[in-house]
Amino acid sequence: MADVTAVDLSKEEKRRFQEEALPILDSLYAGALRMTRNPADAEDLVQETMLRAYRAFARFEAGTNLKAWLFRILTNAYINTYRKKQREPQKISQDEIQDFDLYRELKDHDPDISRTPEDIVLDGLVDSDIIEAIDDLPEQFRMAVVLSDVEGFSYAEMAEILDVPLGTVMSRLHRGRKALQKRLWDVARDRGIVKGPRKEDPKKG
Amino acid sequence: MTVPGGRVEMNQYCQETLAKAYLLLDGEGTPEEREEIRVHLEECSPCYERVGIDADVKKLIARLRGCTPCPDQLRTKISDMLQSQ
Repeated sequence: MADVTAVDLSKEEKRRFQEEALPILDSLYAGALRMTRNPADAEDLVQETMLRAYRAFARFEAGTNLKAWLFRILTNAYINTYRKKQREPQKISQDEIQDFDLYRELKDHDPDISRTPEDIVLDGLVDSDIIEAIDDLPEQFRMAVVLSDVEGFSYAEMAEILDVPLGTVMSRLHRGRKALQKRLWDVARDRGIVKGPRKEDPKKG
Repeated sequence: MTVPGGRVEMNQYCQETLAKAYLLLDGEGTPEEREEIRVHLEECSPCYERVGIDADVKKLIARLRGCTPCPDQLRTKISDMLQSQ
C-alpha cells in the first residue's frame, strides 16, 4: 500500500473535513460499488479512501472541488489496491460498437417511434437492469460513464480524476456510451421488453 | 453553414453534428458550438430524434444517482475512525 504521510490537522481542519467530506459518502460508496462491483470491497475501498483523504487534507486546496478530489483518491486507491483482485474485464470488440445503432434498432422495432422512445421501450428497465448493463462494461468505459452520467462530473474533472487527457475522456465516454446502449438493448430483449429475435454478431453472410 | 430542413438523408454535416452532439447534452464545449448543434437539431428531424434517444438513455442512467446510499454501519465506522485520528 502506498505510504501516506500523515500531516497533523488543526482542530479547524478536522472539523471542516467532517463537515464537508462526510456528506459525499453516498456518492463515494456508489462510485466504489460500480468500480469493484462488490459491496464488501466497496466498503473497504471507501474506508481506505476516507483515511487517505483525511491524512492528506492539509494539502487540499480550499475552494477547489472536494468531490472531484475525493474521487481522484478513490480511483487511485482502487487502481493500486483492488484492481488486481477483479476478474479480467472483458474486451469490447470494435465491430460490436461500430455496428450497433440504437436508433436503427428502435426504428426497426417500431417505425412509428418519433419521440421519447425510451418511454415506450427502455423505460421498462428497472434500476437493477441498468446496473447489470453498466457492470458488464470493461473498466475504463464503466468508470467514464459512471463519473459522467451518474455522478455528473465535467470532462475536465474526469480528466483530473482519471489522470488522462481530455481527448481520452471524450473517447472513452463515447465508446462506453455506445457499448452501454447495446447492452441495455440486449437486456431489454432478454427481459422481453422488446420482442423479436436477438441479433447476434452482425457478421455478414 | 445551413442545411435545408426536413432532409431525410444523412449528409456529412449531419454526421459532423451528431459526432459533437454530446457536447450539448453534457453542457460541454463552447456556447457557440452548443448553439450550432442546437440550431441543426431544430432544422433536421432525423438528427433531433437520434440525439433525443441519446438524451433519454443519459436520463435513464442518471436514475442510478442516489440509488445505492452508503450503508449506515459504514458511515458510523468512518465517523469513529476519524474521531480516533
